[in-house]
Amino acid sequence: MAVTLKYPYVKLEAPPEYRGIPQIDPTLCIGCAGCVNVCPADALLRIDDYENGKREIVLDVGRCIRCARCEEVCPTGAIKLTNFFEAASLDRRDHVEVVRLKLVKCHSCGRYADYTERQVLKALQIVPEEVIEREALDEKVWLCRDCRRKGTVNSTIEASKEKGVIR
Amino acid sequence: MVEAHTADLHGETKRKHGDEKAVVNREYLDRLIERFKDLISEVKQVAYNQWVVVTDRENLPKLVLWWLEESGFPETQLSTMVATDERPINGKFSVTYWLSVNAKAGDIYVGIRSYLPPNDLWIHSVAEKHGGANWYEREIMDLLGIDVKNHPDPRKLVLPDDWPSCVYPLRKDFTYYDSPPGEKFYPYRKTGEKEVVVPYGPYHVALEEAAHFRLYVKGETIVDCDYRGFYAHRGIEKISEGRLTYEQVCYIAERICGICGTTHSTAYCEAVENAAGIEVPERAEYIRTIMLEIERLHSHLLNFGIACHLVGYDYGFMQAWRIREHVMWLAERLSGNRKTYGMLTIGGVRRDLLEYRKQLVQEVIHKINTEFRELVDKALSTRTFEKRLEGVGVLPYKVAKAWDVDGPLGRGSGRDFDVRRDHPYAAYKYLDFKVPVQKEGDVLARALVRIDEVFESTWILEQAIDEIPNGDIIAEYREIPPYLEGIGMTEAPRGENIHYVMTGENNRVYRYRARAATYNNLPAVPDMMRGNTIADAPLIVASIDPCYSCTERVQIVDVRSGKAKVLTEEEFNRLSIKASRRV
Amino acid sequence: MRPIWVFHLNTGSCNGCDIEIIDLLTPYYDVERFGIKLVGSPRHAHAMLVSGPLTRQAYYGAKEAIKAMSPEPRIIIGVGTCTCSGGIFYNGYPIYRRPESGRVGSEYPRAGGIYELVKDIRDEGENVGEVVYIPGCPPRPEEIIYGIAQLVGLVEKRLSYAEYTDGMVKFRLPEGPVPERIRLTLMERLRHLVGYLDREEILNEFFRLIEKAEKSDKPKEALRKLVFEYCQSCKDLRLAYVMKVLEDEYWRVKDAISAGQEFVYWI
Repeated sequence: MAVTLKYPYVKLEAPPEYRGIPQIDPTLCIGCAGCVNVCPADALLRIDDYENGKREIVLDVGRCIRCARCEEVCPTGAIKLTNFFEAASLDRRDHVEVVRLKLVKCHSCGRYADYTERQVLKALQIVPEEVIEREALDEKVWLCRDCRRKGTVNSTIEASKEKGVIR
Repeated sequence: MVEAHTADLHGETKRKHGDEKAVVNREYLDRLIERFKDLISEVKQVAYNQWVVVTDRENLPKLVLWWLEESGFPETQLSTMVATDERPINGKFSVTYWLSVNAKAGDIYVGIRSYLPPNDLWIHSVAEKHGGANWYEREIMDLLGIDVKNHPDPRKLVLPDDWPSCVYPLRKDFTYYDSPPGEKFYPYRKTGEKEVVVPYGPYHVALEEAAHFRLYVKGETIVDCDYRGFYAHRGIEKISEGRLTYEQVCYIAERICGICGTTHSTAYCEAVENAAGIEVPERAEYIRTIMLEIERLHSHLLNFGIACHLVGYDYGFMQAWRIREHVMWLAERLSGNRKTYGMLTIGGVRRDLLEYRKQLVQEVIHKINTEFRELVDKALSTRTFEKRLEGVGVLPYKVAKAWDVDGPLGRGSGRDFDVRRDHPYAAYKYLDFKVPVQKEGDVLARALVRIDEVFESTWILEQAIDEIPNGDIIAEYREIPPYLEGIGMTEAPRGENIHYVMTGENNRVYRYRARAATYNNLPAVPDMMRGNTIADAPLIVASIDPCYSCTERVQIVDVRSGKAKVLTEEEFNRLSIKASRRV
Repeated sequence: MRPIWVFHLNTGSCNGCDIEIIDLLTPYYDVERFGIKLVGSPRHAHAMLVSGPLTRQAYYGAKEAIKAMSPEPRIIIGVGTCTCSGGIFYNGYPIYRRPESGRVGSEYPRAGGIYELVKDIRDEGENVGEVVYIPGCPPRPEEIIYGIAQLVGLVEKRLSYAEYTDGMVKFRLPEGPVPERIRLTLMERLRHLVGYLDREEILNEFFRLIEKAEKSDKPKEALRKLVFEYCQSCKDLRLAYVMKVLEDEYWRVKDAISAGQEFVYWI
């Protein structure tokens, strides 16, 4: 009874449950770096460049131990373990996938914040419409943390002045 | 908790095929306290079946040796030993010997602990009188710099040959990624005057991992054996304490061993769950059990195949590995990885067992029950196979106990000891199974134990598939409080795995100590080898199913003629196969 | 196609890759049909099958072994993630890394593994041939065969460096019949119920039912009926149970949100 598989002369699919190499879908990735935090092998990297306002999410399949923790935490389903396994290569660079995303540029001071534009859009999608005034939010979210804090303090001071609490 | 379950489920159970499970029993601890009232300063319970007893270091060996040698408790075992740098917490170091009783006597682990002042680090050796403590004590000398007085063999064990002296990686002031350079040096046991040691080529690892055995022979008979292993020491404990969070440690724990990974991550998860008091949902416990048994199946099939190969019965090797491949494919479909990696998480499991997956398991059970049975019948009726294994590498019961060997190796020597039954974990407390024990203590006995266990495993799987309850697969837990401790124990295919965890701050483990089964089994190899011929050595090493080791780079030093020759594993194995032809 | 003789070198791996390498010799994979043979000495070998993250203890032996091979072709086949880049162990204290590789950097491709040794040997003026990297933890036997087949020219490589920027690809927020907030909550509930793998498929199935139910005047009753029908038609008891839990959870969360109450996932 011959049982030997004909691979690689014949194509062979891994079963659908198989954890093959992970891939980032760049149309869905928001650059939140949740996957970077949970990766036990540091196969995923977050590299922020505040000069040019770019965040890089780097995936190195050659470091990945395929535990699927990234898939488990990804809020948009951007990173997924495929059942693709033919990842061998003579060049280690072939194992790398990079997604470059824009960081939020503060509308007030012009510096770059430590979150991406896509993260803000995603957050706006999650916030329940019933709870929050949309317009006030739209103004605020495009500011950096410092400017937002300043804005809050200033408006509080102004409101207090109006009420005559302070002069 | 355990008592209640066993009573409920087995009160009117339909099948009573296997052994009773042990229940938590404090009696042994009470007897220890009664005997040494004046020497014990503190007793505390750390988990449902675990207690810690504090004494001072002068009396530490007295208590440990009483438990192991004099108390008369059934199948006592030195399960693990943990030394911790507790300076950031209380300014001291601690050393704990974890002891247990087995053979259905009671589910209890007792840690006997001493605190040491940081400027005067020493303890008295237990290994002097009880061989099983040998490696543990060498390890704490290496990793924490605790001096063990009167140790019979105080050489380096764990750290690389080129590690500088006086740098102790497991101390808290050592950063986990530091790696100071040093000179390469290792003091091998000296050979006689006329002998020449020829370092033969680099290592050949056909079957197992890198390790170095030196056999000292007289003609064909082995008189002594020296071992230098830990080529695969990867600093897992320090990485877990330094870089990884609780969740992430699961993935490094299962990579301790590529064959019995799930038992390690189960033991780690249990240790954390025991320490933090997390209750695992029952469904998750069943799924854990199923994964563990699948692992046992492929591991035992692997070992059976290798045993066949080494006696020159390659038909059995190929057939066993062919059957094993179905188990691997099953593991792949259940967990997504051929080695069942990535299945465990703290508080449960990460993948569910849907109906179609249950059917897959049943198909494989059927395959093994028919095809492996057939193969075993063929092998056992082959003269070579039986003759070649019988009477080889005998490990008498007393020696087995002195080295604290566990798993099929211990059971082959008559030690009635199985963690699944004596310290029930996961879903084993609900399931029905037997623990096969053989008295002969030779390689054949171990092979027979493993064969019996394969069929017990399929029986456990069948029950687990039938009885699996509904519910969640991961428990909810908030935060793990710092500085709690616990041990997790599992029965790996090779024996008892014990993981110790002390929880820490910032979502990190404070101290993690993993002890694999082979750690207890390997030191017994020289005792099994003595008196056997060189051709038997590969068989003996393979019969303990070592995780860390291999017979590559075996140097043979002929004590009588003074000649030295060195064999690669292949030549070595060939010798073994040739010997079978003579049978 | 040339036959390749390989020598297997373990540099401190967990055994997972080593067992898969032995698996290559067994009936289902049988690499000897490509002329690949495991040999007992590096002096006979064309290629070195390396596994493990390269521990300091194994470093010296490994170096000697590679130098003992004939300088041509002296191919290195790195099997497993550890060999490619050090894997999960990459910066532990007993792992060998060249000083300039650093131990905590954020370079990519990630450094570590056998390449550290290859660079050392090349620095000493010795030749090292091609290095094939086969990632996987552990790689399936097919994966190893694929890597070796690439070496002998049977197959082409299928993966290549990929780089995307904001401008190149359009951002897409996932849309569904239920608000994103509820979807995320249900996802988390399902993680505890069936795990990360099956949850998406089950959730999509459930959303199809919701879409149908929302069309009617009484969505609650309609959904109950639909779920009941689904449970009866599906053969998997577990799926039926999950669907029922999902239904309760959906209404709990939805009612809480529409009443303006805070809700927590864990009850």
